[in-house]
Amino acid sequence: MSESIFTFVERCVGCKSCEVACAVEHSRSKVLASAMRETPRPRPRVRVQPAMNYTFPSRCVHCEDPACVAACPTGAMTEDLATGTVRVNDDRCIGCWMCVTVCPFGAVTENPETGTAHKCDLCPERTARGEDPACVAACPTGALIYSTAERFADERRKITALSTVGVSTEAPGNVTLWRSLRGGYQR
Amino acid sequence: MEIVIVGNGPAGVAAAEAIRKSGLECSVTVVSKESEPFYSPCPLAEYVEGSVSRDSLFMRDGDFYRRSRIDLLAGCAAVSLDPSSRRIGVSRSGRIEHLSYDRLLVASGAATAFPPVSGLSGAPGVFTLKTLADADAILENVGGTERAVVIGSGFIGLEAVQALVRRGLKVTVVEAMGQVLPQMLDADFAARVQARLETFEVEVLLDSPVRRVTQGPNGVASVVAGDREIACQMVVCATGVRPDLSWLAGSGVAVDRGVIVNDRMETNLPNVYAAGDVIQAPDWAGRLDLLPNWPNAVASGRVAGASMAGESRKFTGLLPVNAVRIFGQPVSSFGVRGGEQVVAAGEGGAARKLFLEGGQIVGGQFLGDVSGSGVFLEMMRKRVDASFLDGTALSGRWSVAAMLREPPRVRSLAG
Repeated sequence: MSESIFTFVERCVGCKSCEVACAVEHSRSKVLASAMRETPRPRPRVRVQPAMNYTFPSRCVHCEDPACVAACPTGAMTEDLATGTVRVNDDRCIGCWMCVTVCPFGAVTENPETGTAHKCDLCPERTARGEDPACVAACPTGALIYSTAERFADERRKITALSTVGVSTEAPGNVTLWRSLRGGYQR
Repeated sequence: MEIVIVGNGPAGVAAAEAIRKSGLECSVTVVSKESEPFYSPCPLAEYVEGSVSRDSLFMRDGDFYRRSRIDLLAGCAAVSLDPSSRRIGVSRSGRIEHLSYDRLLVASGAATAFPPVSGLSGAPGVFTLKTLADADAILENVGGTERAVVIGSGFIGLEAVQALVRRGLKVTVVEAMGQVLPQMLDADFAARVQARLETFEVEVLLDSPVRRVTQGPNGVASVVAGDREIACQMVVCATGVRPDLSWLAGSGVAVDRGVIVNDRMETNLPNVYAAGDVIQAPDWAGRLDLLPNWPNAVASGRVAGASMAGESRKFTGLLPVNAVRIFGQPVSSFGVRGGEQVVAAGEGGAARKLFLEGGQIVGGQFLGDVSGSGVFLEMMRKRVDASFLDGTALSGRWSVAAMLREPPRVRSLAG
């Protein structure tokens, strides 16, 4: 079973460290200070979004049987059958946006600068070196983990078990307070 | 076991790959009336325009057919089907041969539906943009051509318009209906698309059904549409596509507008399956429909391949979805083009609209910024309550996260 990125929603405090780290990793210099001055400006492939009184780092989940791959009429969007990673080949992408139109997570977007599809690539350079993807490495609360589905499910079960006996593995009290003050989904 | 697939497009190839993935020991023969290996017709306009190379149209490497143990019979048109003897007739350089099958996939696609107008179908100087051969023919004739008329303003028509404009031609598009992209957009968004075409000096003639195409000494001379006669040296006919059912006549396979299949891509005949543009199949809501597009061809092809290999896999339904670019501006739509409730938003050059019936999304259209539109398509498919949606939800930043209507489960357990 290959590794992918998983999210513990309740641990996300909406700091957007993942967005910054993602943009820097996909910049030319891979250094924040110079990445900020690059043209085109590096774009994050993860977006922290409001979800009721929570926040959620939304990105490609590298679906099994991905809709974007089936929809891609140029062969630019491919699934690595060994790892399940879905990537876009900029050289083949013509920007027809069929992938954007069918992605049920809104995780494939348009990159207006390159005119090609834009999505999480699971940081191939970092993972080849045995490092976690940039967003996972940058997440200060452990909301994002790079793991197998089985290990993620184990962890999830552990959290559920702890919470049923009253042990909160959630964010600290001030974050819980902040969430309650956000007052739910903004209609 | 001998499996024969008629058609070398996305449905046929997806089916062949699904059969090989299943591990079933069988021979796979693909019959194609075209001479090229599997290519994508979707970037053909970009190929004509010159921004996409011929090589990159091909979707598999040169070793694909050998490696996948697929016998490709290129340049062979299927001409008949006899289910009682389980044979199909194929025309190979003028001679009819017979191929036996244990299981047959009909993935023979659709062809341009020419309006019944004199001087149109097959006339010199009249082109279509459906196959690679069509695109090559346009490229051979585009040099020295100054004026072209494109018949039909569907997405293939408008892609052809852009390719010819970028080749330096003066282009007129004639549309029989009262708006451009009549199958994709409502009148409001269509007017915006039309305005954009006109800023790129494309002449758009609405309510102008083609009456005839006239020939002169040097080929095509003019198109008579509505009350206008437009002089031109080239005509591209993009009046929609229709399943090619002629070779199935007398076979007993159930057809209406397309070959009727169930959610396993089975036809009424035993061991005969169908997939791709040729089928009339259940759509996302279970209604029998004809929705020829690339994602539906690939998805139905995969299901057909799995079914033929004896696997149990059900088709989730044809999706009414399409995307096109109008001189760089993305346009996409899905579902129907109207509803009892309309949610609309727009900022800058972008505009978005959703149509709801009974609190559920039944259609949507996006202009200028299509990011996140797939979430709404999924909400339609899953029949998610969307009555809470308003204009703010239509921003490009909208994602699946915003659909989270309850706190994560762990929190409620913690009490």
